[in-house]
Amino acid sequence: MIFTDLHQKLTASFGKDIKNIKIQNSKEMIIEVTSDTLPGICSYIYLELGYPLVLMFANDEQSLQSGYAVYYVFADRAKGLLLVIKTPVDPERMEIPSLSQDIPAAATYEREIKDLFGIIPVGHPNPKRLVFHGNWPEGEYPLRKQFPLKRKPPLAKKEMSFQKIIGEGVYEIPVGPVHAGIIEPGHFRFSVAGEPIINLEAQLFYVHKGIEKLAEGQSIEKCFYISERISGDETFSNSLAYCQAIEKIAQVQIPARAAFTRVIFAELERLISHLGDLGGICLDTAYLFATFQFRMLRGWAYMIADELCGMRFLRSVNKIGGVRKDFIAGKEKKLITDLQKIRTELEDTVHIIKANNLFIDRVENTGILEPKIAAELNAVGPAGRASGLGFDVRKSFPYAAYDKLAFKIPEHFNGDINCRMNTKIEECFESIDLIFQAVEAMPQGSILEPVNSVEPYRSAFGLTESPRGENIHWVMTGENNTIFRYKIRTPSFCNWPALCQAVKGNIVPDFPLINKSFNLSYAGNDL
Amino acid sequence: MNNLIYIFLQALTILMLAPLVNGLIRKMKAFIQKRQGASIFQMYYDLYKLVRKGSVVSEVSSWIFKATPYIFFASALVAAMLVPVSTIILPKHIPGDFIVLVSVLGLGRFFMMLAALDTASTFGGMGSSREAMVSTLIEPTILVSLFTIGLISQSTSLSQIMLTVQGAGFPLAHPVYIMVFLALLIVIIAESARIPIDDPSTHLELTMIHEAMILEYSGRHLALMEYGAAIKQLVFMTLLVNVLVPHDQIIAFTGFLALFLSLLIYFFKILILTGIIALIEINTVKFRLFSIPNMAAFAFILSFLGILQYFILGGSNV
Repeated sequence: MIFTDLHQKLTASFGKDIKNIKIQNSKEMIIEVTSDTLPGICSYIYLELGYPLVLMFANDEQSLQSGYAVYYVFADRAKGLLLVIKTPVDPERMEIPSLSQDIPAAATYEREIKDLFGIIPVGHPNPKRLVFHGNWPEGEYPLRKQFPLKRKPPLAKKEMSFQKIIGEGVYEIPVGPVHAGIIEPGHFRFSVAGEPIINLEAQLFYVHKGIEKLAEGQSIEKCFYISERISGDETFSNSLAYCQAIEKIAQVQIPARAAFTRVIFAELERLISHLGDLGGICLDTAYLFATFQFRMLRGWAYMIADELCGMRFLRSVNKIGGVRKDFIAGKEKKLITDLQKIRTELEDTVHIIKANNLFIDRVENTGILEPKIAAELNAVGPAGRASGLGFDVRKSFPYAAYDKLAFKIPEHFNGDINCRMNTKIEECFESIDLIFQAVEAMPQGSILEPVNSVEPYRSAFGLTESPRGENIHWVMTGENNTIFRYKIRTPSFCNWPALCQAVKGNIVPDFPLINKSFNLSYAGNDL
Repeated sequence: MNNLIYIFLQALTILMLAPLVNGLIRKMKAFIQKRQGASIFQMYYDLYKLVRKGSVVSEVSSWIFKATPYIFFASALVAAMLVPVSTIILPKHIPGDFIVLVSVLGLGRFFMMLAALDTASTFGGMGSSREAMVSTLIEPTILVSLFTIGLISQSTSLSQIMLTVQGAGFPLAHPVYIMVFLALLIVIIAESARIPIDDPSTHLELTMIHEAMILEYSGRHLALMEYGAAIKQLVFMTLLVNVLVPHDQIIAFTGFLALFLSLLIYFFKILILTGIIALIEINTVKFRLFSIPNMAAFAFILSFLGILQYFILGGSNV
């Protein structure tokens, strides 16, 4: 068994404190411990075994006679294993020990759980509200089961407080939440000395939609549509992660043709997203030629999506158990010629922009995300790969048909805008190549293995590499093919804190450019 | 009589042409980017729209905020009077020279920076401090370049300078003028807030310089600010084309036909300069804010080399 080694190590160190060990879906090990043992075992896994904390969430399991529980998910990216530490929460005290001192990535998750469940992380270095702002009253915790879906709590009137940086010549610049462009809302509080930024505090979560609450009690088919609407430009990877979780619970193997179709659409989505990002980086440096070049290419990619499935944003392509239709049949030739055209034009454009010294001067050594900080905060996706974290869900947790295809993961080490840009450029070419391979290798056959019912109270993780990075969904089923709890963690949730670190020491007018090089989702961050 | 015609000619030409120059630059940029772009008359429509709208003024602002659009526009208009679009008709005496030109524009800028600080908005303060940085770095270049030509023509009056340069044949064949030409080209880019110094079309408040200062303006106040900025841009362009590429010497006859021909050549020169600016905007990338001093220093060195060459090459023989 793949877990034998891990099992031995953990029982040797914490044998008497571990209450229960369960292995499910062949690659997920769930270990139940008490909250006293929790800091010890988590520190051991994080520091000694070197597994990063990729997700942390709470669950109201009172109807299952076990009260509230908090799950800590660690990932072994080399072997593709998920190690889940589950700890019950004492209903009298509603407290968990905070792990943020040892595991910096835990800080935002603990604040999220505190806001949504009212479970207090004891000893948290910055227990400020995360999801809710000053207008949400105390003592209202929407993800507890007893909180009715339609409840509208009264408005509280409390001002948000921000970190104060005090010193001579230091002043604060509040920016947002309403911005000049047509972008999502977010408030940025800069503390600057002249132009250099000393500190940036991002107050996001202006678009809380209650998606996780909304999903609870819905049928698994309906919840699929919810998953598609988490974040507009990651429709396919989000719905894919959801489908994979359900398919694991139902123990369904999707047909090979469906798996290859999923690869094609996932890579198309990545291509569209990356081309948009590259255009954005060029726009923010006022490099207009390249901007319109990339926009044109993205337009071409959108047209391919439209031709394949009749929907540029790739909605309703997935289906639990496969894909909705055989979208590729008969369109292979056109798909390949169109992509070839994009590749040629992209090669030329990249050649031109890399020869532009003024442009490279803007992006080089700007907004450096140090590899150490990136690792501590679990920066994912292109942002992580630009800072030396060379992992990719497609390699470490292969899904769809990625294990049958050859592709390279770009790796850069400087962590600046240039590295993030190069990562995205290289991934564009890899994506095009992957689609070629997938079209080539695609077998004939059915495209759907219907899933009609799922066992209640079973859970599974669905992982995908969305254009922005590692995307993790956790689904627990309820009675009658419904959803009991749906936890979504998009890559943006991990990368927002990393962005705040990357801008430190840069000057204010470079912030939009750094922000664009990360291109994080506000909606995907705030569920 | 000449005075009246001169004033009428100056005001009419600059006022009518200034928004068109902006439209032309935008259209050329769009054309190079394979876009259709807005009509070249778009800025006239925008100004017309803005003039008809009411103005929103922050409660905390003082009289400076309301007075600034008029002061800024007036300063630009006065500057327009000082740089002749054609030397066919010159009044007997133009009160003012390029020192007045720089000071008058400085006055407008001073009030614009004050007004930006007045509303206490975040971006206004940032815009003001950046504008102060750019302008203090760029103003010496304007003065040194103009002094160089002033030395050659033994006068600080721009009309006198233009007349002298017309006698010099083709000035751009001479190194002194080349230096001054390049220095003034950088000045135009900086003064009209264009790429690579500033990006006139950006929506990113944090990167703005000029736009950040007028962010709080709306309605007719905004119209005046934008119109003023367009006039200022055309004044500098006129300065460059009429001082360094003079054309009136080739018109052998006098009368209104000569005036018409002179203005036509002037439009043509402006059109070419518009193309050059559009090309620069397309082919460069916005500098890092702290690289702007390098560019300003480069412009200053050019103008300084110009004045050095004037002395090295033997003063008035140029």
